[in-house]
Amino acid sequence: MSTRITIPIGPQHPLLKEPLSFMITVEGERVVDSALRLGYVHRGIERLCQTKTYVQNLHLFERVCGICSHVHTTAYCQGVEALLGLEVPLRGLYLRTLLCELERVHSHLLWLGVLGENIGFQTIFMYAWRDREIALDIMEELSGGRVTHSGNVIGGVRIDVGDAQFSSIVSRLNDLEQRVEKLLGVIQHERTLRVRTQGIGYLSPEEIRRYCVVGPVARASGVDVDLRRDCKYAAYGRLHVNVALAHEGDVWARTLVRAREAIESLRLCRQLLVGLPEGPTRVRAPRRVPPGEVVSRAEAPRGELLYYIRSDGSDKPARVKIRTPTLTSLITVHDQLEGVETADVSVVLSGIDLCIACVDR
Amino acid sequence: MNIPRILELLQEVLPAARLEVQTVPIDEHFISLPPDNLHAAVRALLERSDVYHLSTITGQDLDGQIELLYHFWQGGGLTLRTGLPRDRARIETITDLIPGASFYEREIAEMLGVTFLGHPDPQPLFLPEDWEGDPPLRREFALPEEREEGE
Repeated sequence: MSTRITIPIGPQHPLLKEPLSFMITVEGERVVDSALRLGYVHRGIERLCQTKTYVQNLHLFERVCGICSHVHTTAYCQGVEALLGLEVPLRGLYLRTLLCELERVHSHLLWLGVLGENIGFQTIFMYAWRDREIALDIMEELSGGRVTHSGNVIGGVRIDVGDAQFSSIVSRLNDLEQRVEKLLGVIQHERTLRVRTQGIGYLSPEEIRRYCVVGPVARASGVDVDLRRDCKYAAYGRLHVNVALAHEGDVWARTLVRAREAIESLRLCRQLLVGLPEGPTRVRAPRRVPPGEVVSRAEAPRGELLYYIRSDGSDKPARVKIRTPTLTSLITVHDQLEGVETADVSVVLSGIDLCIACVDR
Repeated sequence: MNIPRILELLQEVLPAARLEVQTVPIDEHFISLPPDNLHAAVRALLERSDVYHLSTITGQDLDGQIELLYHFWQGGGLTLRTGLPRDRARIETITDLIPGASFYEREIAEMLGVTFLGHPDPQPLFLPEDWEGDPPLRREFALPEEREEGE
């Protein structure tokens, strides 16, 4: 008869980049049960924002996440702009979308590095993070910030691309695309990576639907959802987005989907730069917002991001609800962990691309 | 999303309620329901329409009631709105229909003091175990700096 042992992972643990608590019960080498506890980086942002003005909140919401900061302000700004009835100039929308796509490339490469490190494949960690620098450099050049760009303002963006920058950015995007293609080849053919990720953390399309999972995790199980194509917010209505899909439903499929998405994002970045319309990048927005409600959605690197905003007519929001995509995949961790070997726990946890700061808010 | 068809379906399931669609930006349709009908409405959506994706549940403390918004999405947004009395805020769970609602209900339970009847795991998710005081998103909850100002 084997004994059951409960192992705490977190809140402070070398495996985790951010604090959360997993209690994992093992029987020999197999995981038989797990329990999750969140809130160790809860900053009370949904309550705090009620005491700040709409403009101050721009900077608060940018700090919900330290990876996908720009998409948070994108969802927030387009919500407030809808309440104000503001029409953002096309050039502003294109530049907003450009940062969204660069951010997706940087987020997916960061994730690939983290996966590499967690499976003991340091080479891919080094390469992915080296190549990610190109995307970070471009974003820094455009906005002045590597991860918190403050690119969005209510009514448009505060960044612009000059003629002198144009060709330099395009040539670096081409270089980066070749590098990501090479990484994709490694994911497809390198045996070490396949052995560690194939068949691990399987989710069926039915499970994805029952748990309402979004983003690359859903697409890796063959569920064809992508708000960039389905919602056509920002400048996506003017672009043709090819949605990356896989059907295996395991961590390997999630790796493939994210690498293909990064390549597609680089293609979209070039398309945005080449088609960048002339004109202003922003319009002035009033400080007070008329009473009303809005539901604003955007496709973050990890999937559907939702902002519900209610205004009572003052210069501060009456309620902002943020639902970040990682929360949807965390619900599935219990099912994914059941029956896996303890050595694969880190692979399962990496597979869903945890962003705890996002989840806790 | 075929909103007239969904309204017709919900009206058929809930003949006693008078349902209306309110359209808000961005492509979102709100339908208000009495709290007792919510579970039946969600069941009808899942079983008799193509809607299955619950984006999240928003809870907010309004004048006189706790309002819950169930945001669905299927090529367009659909939100079911319902209100609960502040002193007896309780509603049937929908986790039996949509297991993915579990975390959203737990968050609202601890942040707004709503009881979800029949929830399989009604523990706090974000707040510390030893949390004392009002649920933080209730109006009576004051931030530390607001407390100092009041004293």
